[in-house]
Amino acid sequence: MIRAENLSFTYPNGLQALKDISFHIKKGEFAAIIGRNGSGKTTLLKHFNGLLKPTSGRLLIAGLDTARARTAELARKVGFLFQNPDHQIFLPTVAQEIAFGPRNLGLKGREIERRVAEAAAQVGLTEYLDASPWKLGKGLRQRVALASVLAMGPDILVLDEPTTGQDYRQAREIMAITKALHRKGHTIILVTHDMELVARYAEKALVLGGGRLLLQGPLTEVFSRDDVLAEAGLLPPAVLRLTAPYRKAGLIPGVLTPEDLFREVCTILRGEDHAARILPA
Amino acid sequence: MPPASFLHNLHPLTKVVWSLAVVTAAFFLQGPLPLLLLWASVLAVAGAGKVLRQVLPALKGLALLAGLFFLFQVFLIREGNTVFTLFPAKGIGQVTDVGLYACTVLALRMLAMTSTIPVLLATTNPKDMVVAFVEKLKVPYLYAFMLVTSLRFIPILQEQLDLVLQAQRARGRDLEGRNFIKRVKAVVPLALPLLLVSIRRSRTLAISLETRGFGSGPRTHLRPLAFRPADIAATAACLLLAFLVILL
Amino acid sequence: METLIEVQNFTFYYGESPVPALADLNLTVRRGEFVGITGPTGAGKTTLALALNGVIPHFQGGRWSGRVVVAGMDTAETPCSRLARIIGSVFQDPEAQLVATDVEEEVAFGLENQALPREEMLPRIEEALTMVGIRDLRHRSLKELSGGQKQRVAIAAALAMRPAVLVLDEPTSELDPQGTQDVMEVLRLLNREHHLTIVLLEQKLAAMAPYISRLVCLHEGRVVADAPPREILRREKLLRELGLEDPPVAAFFRQLQRAGLYSRDLPLTVEEGREELGRLFAKEGIL
Repeated sequence: MIRAENLSFTYPNGLQALKDISFHIKKGEFAAIIGRNGSGKTTLLKHFNGLLKPTSGRLLIAGLDTARARTAELARKVGFLFQNPDHQIFLPTVAQEIAFGPRNLGLKGREIERRVAEAAAQVGLTEYLDASPWKLGKGLRQRVALASVLAMGPDILVLDEPTTGQDYRQAREIMAITKALHRKGHTIILVTHDMELVARYAEKALVLGGGRLLLQGPLTEVFSRDDVLAEAGLLPPAVLRLTAPYRKAGLIPGVLTPEDLFREVCTILRGEDHAARILPA
Repeated sequence: MPPASFLHNLHPLTKVVWSLAVVTAAFFLQGPLPLLLLWASVLAVAGAGKVLRQVLPALKGLALLAGLFFLFQVFLIREGNTVFTLFPAKGIGQVTDVGLYACTVLALRMLAMTSTIPVLLATTNPKDMVVAFVEKLKVPYLYAFMLVTSLRFIPILQEQLDLVLQAQRARGRDLEGRNFIKRVKAVVPLALPLLLVSIRRSRTLAISLETRGFGSGPRTHLRPLAFRPADIAATAACLLLAFLVILL
Repeated sequence: METLIEVQNFTFYYGESPVPALADLNLTVRRGEFVGITGPTGAGKTTLALALNGVIPHFQGGRWSGRVVVAGMDTAETPCSRLARIIGSVFQDPEAQLVATDVEEEVAFGLENQALPREEMLPRIEEALTMVGIRDLRHRSLKELSGGQKQRVAIAAALAMRPAVLVLDEPTSELDPQGTQDVMEVLRLLNREHHLTIVLLEQKLAAMAPYISRLVCLHEGRVVADAPPREILRREKLLRELGLEDPPVAAFFRQLQRAGLYSRDLPLTVEEGREELGRLFAKEGIL
């Protein structure tokens, strides 16, 4: 679905932001791109919508070479949800705001209406279609932004720090919607520095540091490489750090969330039968 | 941070005088050529102050605005001989020689007047400018504050514009077309979010100034701004030139 | 300990809004405390911060009643410039609250407004930058700094005025985990070593809980809980109702607690958690 081949990028001022990056994200995967600010995350992201073109190497999205594809062509394949929804909202109603994307794709009349209704339903905004997006709270504005992207029908969804500046409940809501979209077959790319978020939702992770791809693989594998994460300036999720000494001793496997850890520890302390009784189904 | 050029070293008010002198001259100059020369002089000052590269994007934006202004006006003037008509069949889009001349002058005037602003900003600490306004010109604190707010936001605006651009692009809005009309149409989805985000941020800044005791009375300076001989010379030269233009 | 902040039955409505942003709120902060205040968006955190530093009612208009007294001064009757010397304020957006172009000037700004002579400014700038651990950044341009560094500059700028209390409104919301932790460590140091009173309004509970001595939860403009963070984190229902973050380490031990496998205080950090887990395994004869 998404393939980077020896992608490098140097800014006109000579700063090399990405160095020889190669990866492959398959259709339907939920991948996280993680790294600190300045690791090259943002630069890589700007390649996904063709805003930047590789200095060397290439990036293929659903068979399209991003350096040659037109903006609208790419927008049809990849939807972006950015950190601040206020950077894109400008129309008087939620419905018009959601219709903006499909309209740019050249769609008309009925088809637009259908897509607006569908996208609004996916993010739970149906009852707000006639409201002014300015009057909604930040969490709902973020959903308006997401719906306006979904209305273009992309297979791939890129979320750039979707929870920064949101409160915990709003963050959970956006991630629940994302998870549902993933289940329906969307390929999801989550760009973030929040490891707890990654632990809870992603399947695999790509670690960026100093413009290089330091590591990629399934979550438990990536998070067990303390050395590489330290190099990238990242801390593994709290649950993994908590169990580190016992993982090395082989007592507790590499679980990522408090619920899974509780399950494991119950089993260790009380044996499988007892654990099965006290654990929620 | 050592100042980068003589322009950075000048007192903020000296640069304001220069800016006003250019505005005045632009008002009184009539032909396209003198106005073009005036604009070139602004660019020359920017070049001498080593900020030409830095202000280039802003100048491009101003040129675009002047161009827009030209387009909106040129079809409205009916006097003079028709040079060409956009849609001859319907008789719409008449452009006359008088219209062309008048609009060129107006657009160039606008360009020359506004081009000093980015140069001023690139070479002056906005805070120094406000302090100079409040203390030397006795501008009321509220107006000075409004000035600092708008000044400080220009570099931030550029960053924000980048984010807005990225967001709208992801929604399939192509902003790189060569087609002029398309670029004009693209302004609204960019300008509106930018404006609203900026208003929100200026409120934060206002509160930040308030909670740090700004505007409560006389203040002192960590780095006092001095009006040096170079400032006197530059101010005098600007005033003299503006005066000459008015007389001629 | 002596009372430093006293909020008495304070109610505030923005403009013509029919819903109060703060509703009959009462809060007392004693000198030397490090108080965390949390709540979902719209619970009144920012309004409370603005009421504490006098922006409400001096700058932000609205209908209000009740009293806010800081260090013996009623904020409604004291000009903002006077309050500025007693309450240091730090806000969410590191960009929008900075006024100068380099670090030294930024920290000097409040002192200039107080009309302090230059000779007095210099040592105060040095002192404030040292306190937040960025002395080496003194001559740097603000543009070159990371978000976390900018927030530390904002804290230093507030400290230079030698306030009695520091009020921070979600200072880490735009920062990454490392930047967040750096700011928290600085606050801990200011509280422990310099005995500064700190009021931190924040929704990152996991990041904040290990540092604060007391956690106040706001909901719809009211205080709904006020206790040490360990106590609050035991109350799963409260966390869920307010939509608050449930820090993973505490969440795990709370589940053990409920299953009758753990009975001690909830650990707040990974280090504490490891110790407790080790103790638990040892008790059960594992390892």
